[in-house]
Amino acid sequence: MVRFENTTKIYSPNIVGIEDINLYIKPREFVSIVGQSGAGKSTLVKLLIAEEKPTSGRVIVGGWDITHIKRSKIPILRRQIGVVFQDFKLLPQKTIFENIAFASEVCGVPRKKIKKTVPQALNIVGLNDKSNRYPFQLSGGEKQRVVIARSLVHRPKLLIADEPTGNLDSFNAEEIVNLLLRINDFGTTVILVTHNHDIVNSLNKRVVVLEGGRIVDDKKRGKYHI
Amino acid sequence: MFFRIIQFAFQDFYRNFWLAIITITMLVVTLFSVTALVSLNVVSDQLVKSIENKIDVTVYFKQDVDESQILKTRIGILSLPEVKKVTFVNKNEALVWLKEKYKNNQSILSSVEILDKNPLPNFFIIKAKNSEDYPKILDELNKDEYNKIIKKKGFNDHKIFINKISFIKDKTKKMGIIIIAIFSFIASLIVFNTVRIAIYTHRNEIKIMRLVGASDWFIRAPFLLEEFFYAFISLLILMSFFYPLLNFIQPHLNYFLEYNFDLISYFKNNLFFIFGSEFVAVILINMISSFLAIKKYLKV
Repeated sequence: MVRFENTTKIYSPNIVGIEDINLYIKPREFVSIVGQSGAGKSTLVKLLIAEEKPTSGRVIVGGWDITHIKRSKIPILRRQIGVVFQDFKLLPQKTIFENIAFASEVCGVPRKKIKKTVPQALNIVGLNDKSNRYPFQLSGGEKQRVVIARSLVHRPKLLIADEPTGNLDSFNAEEIVNLLLRINDFGTTVILVTHNHDIVNSLNKRVVVLEGGRIVDDKKRGKYHI
Repeated sequence: MFFRIIQFAFQDFYRNFWLAIITITMLVVTLFSVTALVSLNVVSDQLVKSIENKIDVTVYFKQDVDESQILKTRIGILSLPEVKKVTFVNKNEALVWLKEKYKNNQSILSSVEILDKNPLPNFFIIKAKNSEDYPKILDELNKDEYNKIIKKKGFNDHKIFINKISFIKDKTKKMGIIIIAIFSFIASLIVFNTVRIAIYTHRNEIKIMRLVGASDWFIRAPFLLEEFFYAFISLLILMSFFYPLLNFIQPHLNYFLEYNFDLISYFKNNLFFIFGSEFVAVILINMISSFLAIKKYLKV
């Protein structure tokens, strides 16, 4: 599903994002990418969504070599990837339904289809009954579930969750992780980027540890120790 | 998709309502300055034309020159390339004109009656094709061939007045162009900032759009379309008060020009050309400013 081949990203001579990364993530896999701040986790995410281009090496997503992806093709790539960030990035003046529909609207999805897919996404995250509420009427965990629902409307094959539990208490964090596991069970490849070792250790899934921009550990059923 | 772009463009408009009002006001002022300059140009052209119409050379013939000789002379003068029209008025017609003109002036009428014969000469009224041609015509009339039969030449020269009008017209035009340039510059700065602020107020939407895979075109189009709305609304506002203003000016203009020139009809007949050109110009200003602002501030 995802392949990094000798991938290096250097921002400036003093700032190296990642260095010589070789990583293969299979379809339907659940992988946690862990590491301290500045380890290169965010660079990896940026390369996957083509927000940055590698300095050397290759990045392949779903069989598509996006190393030198054309600017005009980036939206097509992003429609195939769901992205969930730590900050919720919900529009406060829109209802939950509208927030999720917005992702489809801006990609030109017909209204009829939107009316069908948004409730489905809300159903997956368990927020069907709150579709008419506004973000300020929801808890942090619920807001993050809305963001996950929004990332699911395009039915992505790959879901990247970049510190999705960063702003949440342990109860809500666990709920979000369970939701990600459920989405993975449906067949979506999930990349969880985090530095929360409790979550990673509870998953019992593949763990890739980054340090100083390099992979220092990659275990099929790993644990994350600081 | 296009409907959604329109919808997003309207959202921008409502969210930055006061900024939109300022932008539209500035565009209206710019458009008004251009239209006012066009009007001034048209009016001054008409004024020059009306004065030029009054310029002629009147040639009075000696009493002993007979009509056949005068008509031969007329053919000669008409053959001059500068001459547009030669009107022959014989002395009898001239007398009728005089009596008609002074029908209420008894002293003039009785003076004419006292004389045995018609004291008035035969004469020509010569009109040139161009006001610049009169000196040439006068030179020609000074030749012996004509001079020996001509008693007197009268030339109503409004040249100085025309020159003054042309001078004022040129100065006004130059000043107008400078004013238009200043207003256009201010308008483009305001449009630039409007787009910049619109991008800022939509930064979250834009981030989400980028994230979920909206195309560059879809993200940029509402901002461009919004500027199109501004141009269109500005033009409508201008037209809504410009025609009533013309209605107000028209009677004063007729008095000033001393003949009927219908400025309203002029603007009606040239509606598409004048306002169409202004619309295109304002769209260009808006689009260029928006494009620069989008390029600088909208990272998609």
